[in-house]
Amino acid sequence: MKAELFRKGDIAVILVILVAVALFLGIQSKQTDKLEAVITVNGETVETIDLSLVKEKQIFEFDTTPKVIIAAENGEIYFEYADCDDKLCINCGKLSRKGDTAVCLPARTVVTVSGSDVGVMTY
Amino acid sequence: MAVTVFLKKIGAIIAAVSAVILIAFTVYDGVFNKSASKDFFAMDTVISAKVTGKDSDLCVEKIEKLVTDLDGILSRHSKSSEVTALNNGVPDGMISDRLLGYLHTLIDISRKSGGAFDFTIGALSDLWSFGKNPKIPDGQDISAALTVSGYEKLSFEGNRVTKPDGMLIDFGATGKGIALDEIRTVLENSNAKSAVVSVGGSVLLYGSEKVTVGIREPYGNAGRSIASVDLNNTCVSTSGSYERCFDVNGKNYHHILDPETGYPVDNGLISVTVISESGVITDALSTACFVLGIEGGMNLAEEYGCEAVFITADKKIYATEKVSSEIRITDSDYTFMNYES
Repeated sequence: MKAELFRKGDIAVILVILVAVALFLGIQSKQTDKLEAVITVNGETVETIDLSLVKEKQIFEFDTTPKVIIAAENGEIYFEYADCDDKLCINCGKLSRKGDTAVCLPARTVVTVSGSDVGVMTY
Repeated sequence: MAVTVFLKKIGAIIAAVSAVILIAFTVYDGVFNKSASKDFFAMDTVISAKVTGKDSDLCVEKIEKLVTDLDGILSRHSKSSEVTALNNGVPDGMISDRLLGYLHTLIDISRKSGGAFDFTIGALSDLWSFGKNPKIPDGQDISAALTVSGYEKLSFEGNRVTKPDGMLIDFGATGKGIALDEIRTVLENSNAKSAVVSVGGSVLLYGSEKVTVGIREPYGNAGRSIASVDLNNTCVSTSGSYERCFDVNGKNYHHILDPETGYPVDNGLISVTVISESGVITDALSTACFVLGIEGGMNLAEEYGCEAVFITADKKIYATEKVSSEIRITDSDYTFMNYES
């Protein structure tokens, strides 16, 4: 009787595991590359947008005081309207790179493009 | 054949041991390296806390409560805060031990900076009204505000404080740093493993793990960085003329006021970042170094044993010796300059 190191079944199981690992790593890598914008109101995430998929203009409105309107189009996101005094959030302009951030303090609304190499920003 | 069976047994043992180690590591990691994060608003700014450790969930809740409570003591824009009561004239002038401790800390920094940092110029800040409807004040009003300002005009007898009528004590430049110092105590008492806390851009890095800290591009608005440095176990704070400012006839008027003249500092600097173990020192010194300029700021940073990064309006970067060797310039519009005293 000739003993084999691996039987055909063993090889099939190993192949399945290898394919699963490769798929998992591939998904992880794709998620890292994704340009994702996160909108928070009062510290709670209210919307997550994959900017790489945004072509047509999309409008986001939430229950905030003062009222703000956030727009996303062509891979960018920005405060389009804010009923606050200083308009600093609108002046932040269009966010399109990882780590870009715009804040409307009066409306307690933050827009961040996630995935920056920088761990924290001092300003 | 015997060799093949032996190899199979060895393989099975290795697989079993690996599985046990993996499971043990996963359980340990899930319990002791549990991460929690929270963003919230207090001190008129946005606060972000990310904590890793066994009780991280509880820890971020404690941080939020601490900062909110501290705001209730230090904010001069809150009707019920202790500082507001002091500014309005506490009947017997008595203040809490906590507030007294903060005032003594700030007086020490004011003295060592030769008055470049002064927390008693609230009346002057109100004239400029940077928060809402900013305007250039009348020169006579500035002189009057300066008359009632000045840390050296405060006197203490135990917990009793005496100050000139009209003097407004303002923790606007240091409240965030004080918060960072108190947050560190919470993290220590909670046995946190690591944490990154930003109180409106003043940062606490807790733990031995290095974190990349970006220095914000002064002219950009999207929060991008022009330089970065990897740091651990420290505080970082920045004062910049790009925040709370307004333009009149092409001239920029910003919120960092010279306590001597009453006008915004105009010395070619646009931002100063200070790195130090103490949050309140980084906060106060970033303002003081901005007022003093590059040479005076370098000397003050050296006196405190802090590191500092100075950015000029013409996009040049100067830094103290240690941080010079560690900083990475990430925006090619900016040039690193060797500082020679």
